[in-house]
Amino acid sequence: MSLNYQAVLWNRQKKIYDGLIVLGVVLYLGMFVGVGSLVRPQTTIETLLIRGFGTLALALLHVILSIGPLCRLDRRFLPLLYNRRHLGVTMFLCGLFHGVFAIVQFHALGNVNPLVSVLSSNTDLSSLSAFPFQPLGLAALGILFLMAATSHDFWLANLGAPIWKSLHMLVYVAYGLLVLHVVLGVLQAETNSVLTLILAVGFVWIVSLHLLAGFGEIAGDRELTAAGSDRFIRACAVDEIREKRARIVCLAGERVAIFRYDGKVSAVSNVCQHQNGPLGEGKIVDGCITCPWHGYQYAPESGASPPPFTEKVPTFNVRVKAGEVWIDPHPNPPGTRTEPAPIEGDASNG
Amino acid sequence: MSEQMAGWVVAALALYTAVGVVFAIPFVVRGVNRLDPVARESSWGFRVAIFPGAVAFWPLLLKRWLSGQTAPGERNAHRNAARLTR
Ligand code: FES
Repeated sequence: MSLNYQAVLWNRQKKIYDGLIVLGVVLYLGMFVGVGSLVRPQTTIETLLIRGFGTLALALLHVILSIGPLCRLDRRFLPLLYNRRHLGVTMFLCGLFHGVFAIVQFHALGNVNPLVSVLSSNTDLSSLSAFPFQPLGLAALGILFLMAATSHDFWLANLGAPIWKSLHMLVYVAYGLLVLHVVLGVLQAETNSVLTLILAVGFVWIVSLHLLAGFGEIAGDRELTAAGSDRFIRACAVDEIREKRARIVCLAGERVAIFRYDGKVSAVSNVCQHQNGPLGEGKIVDGCITCPWHGYQYAPESGASPPPFTEKVPTFNVRVKAGEVWIDPHPNPPGTRTEPAPIEGDASNG
Repeated sequence: MSEQMAGWVVAALALYTAVGVVFAIPFVVRGVNRLDPVARESSWGFRVAIFPGAVAFWPLLLKRWLSGQTAPGERNAHRNAARLTR
């Protein structure tokens, strides 16, 4: 929650997260170069660094693409999501070093502009052994640059969620381009197919994880419909909601989080105003719904962040009848206070 | 891609980037405050952090800056429905 923008809103978790990223990068590169120069003493340090940064960027991309679905499948992965954008910027920087070193090594020695040389050196699209794999990497790097450059919250607010989300979904296009870049590059440059095999395993892992997480969500995304003439719709039984937690249902084209707390029930739109995190997967902490992604908070009755913060989400009118939660499908404007529905017979209702 | 075509692509990209850099300097210093009021009290670190994005998205930001538009505001099915029905 923010009243102004900082480059990074540092806190202890972010410092630990970033410390681990830096440590991981240094250890990986150190080991890659160390082991590489022992196993293949004829390979130059520049080549080892090009390969080290390239493989590290690709490994980080696999981690980044795994975090979202892993968090959907098991909440214990949520801490990984907390500062994923720094992991993304690190991945882009590794890719950038790989690209710059490779362009300097392979394209900067002639009298043609190095970028022109990358785009024009291979032109045979019909042959695997001469396919221009380097422009594929360059295009992926361009996408990763746009994502890293717009990773600050300012861009989400100012590009607007639809543009920002579409831009960041291009990570899958970048992944596809990189898979082709590596497979074609390895096929053309090496006889060693271990990297291709690892990449194939990584590809299967990413696709399966996304399918698994996606199937898990389909059932919950079935839109609720009215049973009778009443405008309210039956959403779930009160007993299905754990104290200080939510049940998520789909209503009015989007998910709604129905929270149970202190003998009452309130419902808000499931979409966090920060980066569209799933509020219904968070819990009530100190009387506020707390987003599981980065901890933005909202009062359950009003959907408004506690002052001085100004974030707001839409709310829904709710009723509890005979142990069942009924919900008005028409959302209230963000931040509208609604009356929580008391749960009959709940001892904490008070 | 032929060398001539690649030359044109790279030249166009260089021109776009150069204009973006010229635009981004005054934008991160002053323009951003007009576009997003939250930026007014913001740190220099923030202004440096958004510089590359301002270079990349200069046509969009320039249009907003000139027309006096502010941040577009969050939109999704619930927010749209709340706007329509109340
Ligand atoms: S998405 Fe970041 S706090 Fe909710």
